Amino acid sequence: MDKFDLEDPLTSLDGHQSDTISALFSSESDHMPSYNYFQCLKTSDFYVSFRQEAISLILQAQYSSNLDPYTQYLAVNYMDRFISWQEIPQGNPWIVRLLVIACISLAAKMKEIHFSFSDFQRDEGFMFDPPAIQRMELLVLDALNWRMRSITPFSFITFFVSLFQLKDPPLTQALKDRATNIIFQARNEINLLEFKPSIIGASALLLACHELFPLQFPSFETSVLSCEYVNEEKVMECFNEMQEMVNNEMSESIVDMVSSSSSTRTPVSVLDCHCSKSENEGTNSTMATTVTPENREIKRRKLNGFCNHSSTMKISQFQPCE
Amino acid sequence: MEKYEKLEKVGEGTYGKVYKAKDKASGQLVALKKTRLEMDEEGVPPTALREVSLLQMLSQSLYIVRLLCVEHVDTNKNGGSKANLYLVFEYLDTDLKKFIDSHRKGPNPRPLPPSLIQSFLFQLCKGVAHCHSHGVLHRDLKPQNLLLDKEKGILKIADLGLGRAFTVPLKSYTHEIVTLWYRAPEVLLGSTHYSTAVDMWSVGCIFAEMVRRQALFPGDSEFQQLLHIFRLLGTPTEKQWPGVTSLRDWHVYPRWEPQNLERAVPSLSPEGVDLLSKMLKYDPAERISAKAAMDHPYFDSLDKSQF
Repeated sequence: MDKFDLEDPLTSLDGHQSDTISALFSSESDHMPSYNYFQCLKTSDFYVSFRQEAISLILQAQYSSNLDPYTQYLAVNYMDRFISWQEIPQGNPWIVRLLVIACISLAAKMKEIHFSFSDFQRDEGFMFDPPAIQRMELLVLDALNWRMRSITPFSFITFFVSLFQLKDPPLTQALKDRATNIIFQARNEINLLEFKPSIIGASALLLACHELFPLQFPSFETSVLSCEYVNEEKVMECFNEMQEMVNNEMSESIVDMVSSSSSTRTPVSVLDCHCSKSENEGTNSTMATTVTPENREIKRRKLNGFCNHSSTMKISQFQPCE
Repeated sequence: MEKYEKLEKVGEGTYGKVYKAKDKASGQLVALKKTRLEMDEEGVPPTALREVSLLQMLSQSLYIVRLLCVEHVDTNKNGGSKANLYLVFEYLDTDLKKFIDSHRKGPNPRPLPPSLIQSFLFQLCKGVAHCHSHGVLHRDLKPQNLLLDKEKGILKIADLGLGRAFTVPLKSYTHEIVTLWYRAPEVLLGSTHYSTAVDMWSVGCIFAEMVRRQALFPGDSEFQQLLHIFRLLGTPTEKQWPGVTSLRDWHVYPRWEPQNLERAVPSLSPEGVDLLSKMLKYDPAERISAKAAMDHPYFDSLDKSQF
């Protein structure tokens, strides 16, 4: 009963009641990174690459530790919130790995999923001792004030879908599935980070509807935009960003298809594919000009480099700043 | 924890010591609840993690004591694995037990005003409904756990959340006897699958106690507790409560006939007695829910818009 479900963070026993809905909207901002964070990401390359690397590591955990995408999403939410409250000292490449392990571990515990420190670390080629990980977990918990039942875009899916007068369960499922994919993709998009979870959820559903049921789009749009809890302008702004994200993704995959058939690039492992894909996703709209194949190679090499030397640093060197 | 100045120990919660303290920077009074965090190879225990985050979420309600923040303190210097967790709650200086006592004893004994009983009971139902709607049972509701803001006339539920990772003990860790007076008959009879109805039984006992200014069922052992209940409400039968005689701790008891409930709460209005009787139904499935209780005619004369 107390297992944490991202689609139902308030564990309401009898479905979505009106007071549950208003509670969701009124406390969603407590589960977001601070505003400074978005500014940091827009101005500092260090934070951009730190975040990208952290996300890549979290995504790789699905192979070594069999993590589902929701747990990964939760871990990324913790990681973003942590970085936005704690200054990350530069020049300590081990910090990102320790932070990632702690965030995945906390997310797995919330979801009641088994996650083994050692399996994950063995696969990634580094090894922190349990006390160091514990202390990192506590630092994350302190920074997040133990608000671990994150309200995410998934929390709003059921509510927004209920505004959409779809009678057919399979169609509703298709809509939810597409929106869910868009939300996972949006996580990597720095431009979309500053939108509230409800706005992300609403926009993802609108976009899914636009793609799958264009005829019903106008009426769904009207009901979402007239919902008392959402800011119409923000939804439209977010919707446009998302649409751009999806279009970029499509054009990139076409380019990839063409280039991979003609280039001499050796086929890479699934893991590498995944890695470079997430990097693309993380940068495509604003950073589109800076992402070149060379750049991606450098990033991948950097990531591999990290895996080679084991870390013996202690978390005590990493002091939380008040 | 240097942020707080401990003023005095104000109690032993079921799960640890509680201190009254002052936030040095703001001067705000807080209640510090200390709990041990047992660390193992896997880091922060998942149960503690889920319980505290659940508490963090529940305390958003006005009728639940607000959890202001959570602080942890490492006690072991040499790479150790022990930590204490301090839950920092808002501080309220009185609770319903003290409040009822002050109306029974002391210089000016007098009944609690009926409108106040009505208002406190409504707030209690609202807080319990909030917990239940989030899938959380309190399991230890009692007047000591209901804190009061006398000036604003607000009642808040305390000491909740940490109930599921640990079973409710008969004795607290300081060997103080945990009160049985508010415990539901299905719990006393050893039922393992109990539900939200256990809290509604406690709410009923607390309701009657506000009216009577003394406990309805003051038992001093589990057996005596059951006898107190049976003497007033009659010994339960299979017809009234299907399955009761197959519960783990069921024995053959004397057959008492139900007494008139009105006589236990003489000053209570007929609507009040009706609501109380629905809270004290033997069969947990028949017992009124917190949400339904809020719509009971007993509250018709209450201005609900203020809550």
